[in-house]
Amino acid sequence: MAKRLDELREKLLRAGVAPRHVRRTVMELEEHLADLRAEEERGGQSRADAERAALKRPGSMDELAQRVIAQPQFRSLSARAPWAVLGLGPVVGLGALWMLALVILVTGWMVFMPNSETPFVRVAGVAAVYFGLGRALYFAAPVLVGWWVGSVAARQRLRVTWLLLGWALLAWCGGMGQVTAQRTMESPSCKPIAILVGFASPWTTGHLLHVAVILALTAPPYAAWRLWSARTAVE
Amino acid sequence: MPRMAVRETNPSFMNGVPELLILRLLEQEEMYGYEIVQAIRERTDAVIAVGEGVVYPVLHGLEREGALKSRRKTVNGRSRVYYSVTRAGTKRLAALQQTWSGLTAAIQKMMAGGRHGEAIG
Repeated sequence: MAKRLDELREKLLRAGVAPRHVRRTVMELEEHLADLRAEEERGGQSRADAERAALKRPGSMDELAQRVIAQPQFRSLSARAPWAVLGLGPVVGLGALWMLALVILVTGWMVFMPNSETPFVRVAGVAAVYFGLGRALYFAAPVLVGWWVGSVAARQRLRVTWLLLGWALLAWCGGMGQVTAQRTMESPSCKPIAILVGFASPWTTGHLLHVAVILALTAPPYAAWRLWSARTAVE
Repeated sequence: MPRMAVRETNPSFMNGVPELLILRLLEQEEMYGYEIVQAIRERTDAVIAVGEGVVYPVLHGLEREGALKSRRKTVNGRSRVYYSVTRAGTKRLAALQQTWSGLTAAIQKMMAGGRHGEAIG
């Protein structure tokens, strides 16, 4: 019974049905099959025969899958617009995490070193931990977002082409992104802060290496999942 | 077997029928998928059988459109998803019933040999 339901789940996910809806359909069908089996058992069949009979009654899983797939309202956003989820999604996610890292940087600067011209100086104690948190978030953000995108692609069985495109964009943004923070010179009395986020220009080997490192750290969990699912499919 | 005959002869003839029957059943009381299949079979003397594989796509579609609502309920130690009709579902049922009545009346008239049947709306 579980094998037939797994096949149905796989078919629906590959057809772009939203995982939430797939979960619900499979769960309700599983409960339904259990009821059918109980009904057959009450009719005097052995458990094994009852299970076989119960599986025949809903018709073929292909037919059932086609009925679900035919309803466009159950398609996931990733299936309808993979370019948005895997292309724009990672960049927006990266922007959000970087924004959080910048908030940590600016608040740390104002709290721990209000008179310093730049927050990029050596600090110790609580300040070091606080700034370290922001720095860790800034550098880990591309990898974290890449893992998230990989998990979406795996969960929804999305084409690897879109995933690679999303990762490439993410790694490029992550590797080339630069943050500068300084006091503006015009009004030193107010001590306003200027934060600039941009891309490195010109590109250096260091930047390109950073891009490569992000890609190298992002891909392994998804690659491992692909290997695992290929192996289980063969078995 | 009538059930098989309905399924195999002309499934497209049954288009819209599961939706109508499900709404009618759920208007009276809330039910879960298995109960709905059984109830349709029993109440139509097994002339119409909404297949187990049909009922969930229809239920989910109707729920998505706001005609049904669902809730999880545990009965006799088993957790199930119960469906009931919303106000929008009641309106939809009324419209479907009207269409269906017009259609069956027109077909019956035609089958009885009437030559000047009314236009089907």
